[in-house]
Amino acid sequence: MLVFYNKITCQQTSGDVCKFLHPKLFHLLGGGLSADNMVHLSAHNKRARDSKYIEQLGTYDPLPNIYNEKLVSFNFDRIKYWIGCGAHPSKPVAKLLGLAGFFPLHPMTITDAERRRAQAELSAAAGAESEEQTEKPAEV
Amino acid sequence: MFHVVGRRSAPVTRLLASRGTVLVDSVRGRKSRGDPVAKSKEGRIKVPPPVDPREMVVLKDRYTEYQLILKALRLEFREEVLRKKFEEETGSLAEERARQDAEEHRALMLWNQEENLRLLKARVLRIQKEEEEAERIKMEAVMKLEQQQQEFIKLKEKQVLQLQEEAKNFITMENLDQRIEEALDHPKNYNFAVDREGRVVRQTVLQ
Repeated sequence: MLVFYNKITCQQTSGDVCKFLHPKLFHLLGGGLSADNMVHLSAHNKRARDSKYIEQLGTYDPLPNIYNEKLVSFNFDRIKYWIGCGAHPSKPVAKLLGLAGFFPLHPMTITDAERRRAQAELSAAAGAESEEQTEKPAEV
Repeated sequence: MFHVVGRRSAPVTRLLASRGTVLVDSVRGRKSRGDPVAKSKEGRIKVPPPVDPREMVVLKDRYTEYQLILKALRLEFREEVLRKKFEEETGSLAEERARQDAEEHRALMLWNQEENLRLLKARVLRIQKEEEEAERIKMEAVMKLEQQQQEFIKLKEKQVLQLQEEAKNFITMENLDQRIEEALDHPKNYNFAVDREGRVVRQTVLQ
């Protein structure tokens, strides 16, 4: 069983407004072993990924629930503050924010979707061809 | 060969590992510098992932647009943060607050002064009372001492008088002969008998 926890933490770049020592970015943090596998968005400076964070900026549950949805929450006020102080989001966080509408949609989200669609079309076409081939011998 | 659990922290690894797995922390770079290449990788040529040029062009455009928007957003947020900070420190509300704080401080200082005065008065009264009390006690002690002295004197006087009175019956050198004669003339019998009911009998065989 591959258990995947994500906490999004904030590392802060040197901003003069908020006096902090290390550059920071906010990213996904590994959470603890809990029954619901919750994932947190948090802010912390240049430290190990899972260590003490400055602030939690949201949650992300990677396992879909009974309605097949993955729940995400954001604290937009604080995210704005941290970005204003010079924090940068990590790639998965940027993608999530893009999907949420706070950021513009990430290019890789679009390209991945296009690739998957092309793949699906290809496999559908291949499936149709193989069906035709099986039908033809059957007819003949 | 052994099922190595993915790169996780030590306690999580221990919790996640089932009975069969060997607990090994997956460490990068098992081979050192002089180790030969593995047999399965002998003719391997590392090739970068294939890139579709059309897709790459589109992707680059998208990225430039995305970065532009993000930069703008970042600047906006920064401006907002600065504005908030500025307002917090030097806005109209800040002045009001400062003024109110100063007023409150002044009022509190006044009240403090009044309290001090009140306490001072109370203290003065208390000290006065204590002094009076001490005076009274001292006076009482002095009086008591005097009284005791008086009593002592009286007692001694009484004793002297008593002695004087008793001295009249003393036997001196002049009375000696007379008193001897008297005693021989009047013999006194001190014998008596008492029974349980308390009846005293003074009549004896001697008399």
